[in-house]
Amino acid sequence: MKKLSAVLIATALAACGSEKKTDEQAFMETLDTAQNAGPTISEAVIGDILQQIPSPLEIAVLLKESGKKYNASLLNSPDNLPKYNSNYQKALNLGIYGADLGYTNIYEQNQDGIKYISTIKSLADGLNIGQFFDIETIGRLATNSKNLDSLLLITTQNFNSINHYLQTQGRANLSVLLLTGGWIEAVHIMCSVAAQDPTNKVLQEKIGEQKVILENILLLLSFYKEKDQNMAALLQDMQELKNIFDRVNITYTYKESTFEVVNGVMVIKDNSTTTIDITPQDVTDIRSSIINIRNKIIS
Amino acid sequence: MKRLAFLVWTLVALSTTGASAQCNSEALSNQCIPKLAAGFNFLKSYKIDGEGGSKDKVEYSYVFTKGTQYMINICAPNQPTDGIVVTLYDSNRNKVATSKVNGQYISAIAYPCNATGIYYIQYTFDGSSTYCGGSALGFKR
Repeated sequence: MKKLSAVLIATALAACGSEKKTDEQAFMETLDTAQNAGPTISEAVIGDILQQIPSPLEIAVLLKESGKKYNASLLNSPDNLPKYNSNYQKALNLGIYGADLGYTNIYEQNQDGIKYISTIKSLADGLNIGQFFDIETIGRLATNSKNLDSLLLITTQNFNSINHYLQTQGRANLSVLLLTGGWIEAVHIMCSVAAQDPTNKVLQEKIGEQKVILENILLLLSFYKEKDQNMAALLQDMQELKNIFDRVNITYTYKESTFEVVNGVMVIKDNSTTTIDITPQDVTDIRSSIINIRNKIIS
Repeated sequence: MKRLAFLVWTLVALSTTGASAQCNSEALSNQCIPKLAAGFNFLKSYKIDGEGGSKDKVEYSYVFTKGTQYMINICAPNQPTDGIVVTLYDSNRNKVATSKVNGQYISAIAYPCNATGIYYIQYTFDGSSTYCGGSALGFKR
């Protein structure tokens, strides 16, 4: 019994000891990361802001539902892939290609989608996050338009997993770039469509409300401006975009909502409103600024 | 010697209890995704882990946009919601919607958004037995 007790205690102590060592190692690694390229604010705060950024898919759905035709010339060509060598370029363009893939998926353009899947996989591998991109399943789903729901689900899940992983690995800077790239591409597509339909008020308002998201992106980039020259330069470009968005006024009026329960679902009637004041000139200037920023990223 | 054996037994028992009481909120949030109503596109899954009652709320945020309808649902291990309530607040912390009404816990909210902005999605535990759940957010135009 004495021997058994000694073995149990030794095992318990050894387990505690190894646990402590792991914590210390993790702490030291955190310090190293912070010294090299870390942000000036906690990763948890960054994670909270990152999760607010909407999916580019929402804009693709808006365009399709409003009857706009598919236009592959608006997207970043997969042929540009060899140009992206640094992690900065890879992460931003992974976001851009991700938005492009969402656009091709929503429009059920499977042949184009397959090219983007392959491009995305290459970039993700280059960033050591390729394991989260299930290319075989996605490729199989993309060959049949009946699988659209599954395709959208699995691609969204893959990108969510990548973002979560990057944040848990102290690489939230790449997550910031990925989401920024996705947003820039979605706004670029939307502005290009709006330019062909200058009287479309819904599209103009949709562009105007991007001001809310831009403010979050600027905040995220600002956390890295002291330690990452590329992100500081991007922040400066985005700041110029913000100067144009500052002309857009968003007025919010809160009014208590009402509800009813329908088939076990609580359906809310939102009585609050936002009015978005944006002129056609603002849209033109936003488009011009977005094209400049995007060209620097994809060239 | 008896004290020593008791100590070891306690250590083993505590570690076993901890393992069984773990909240698998990831699995529950994954279960919630196919429960989004037809026509909704999946956006995010949220883990709801109240850590056995030590946390009284779990909160996330997202930018909702005017003209888009969102759905948020709840999945729990035992009953449909196990006392988990989701409440939606706007950026000024005005309450926009809650899934508890007249003492009834509703497992899904459909929110046709009329005002673009940051919204807070807050999960609370009202008599929950597990303090554990998952949730999914979807959208449609």
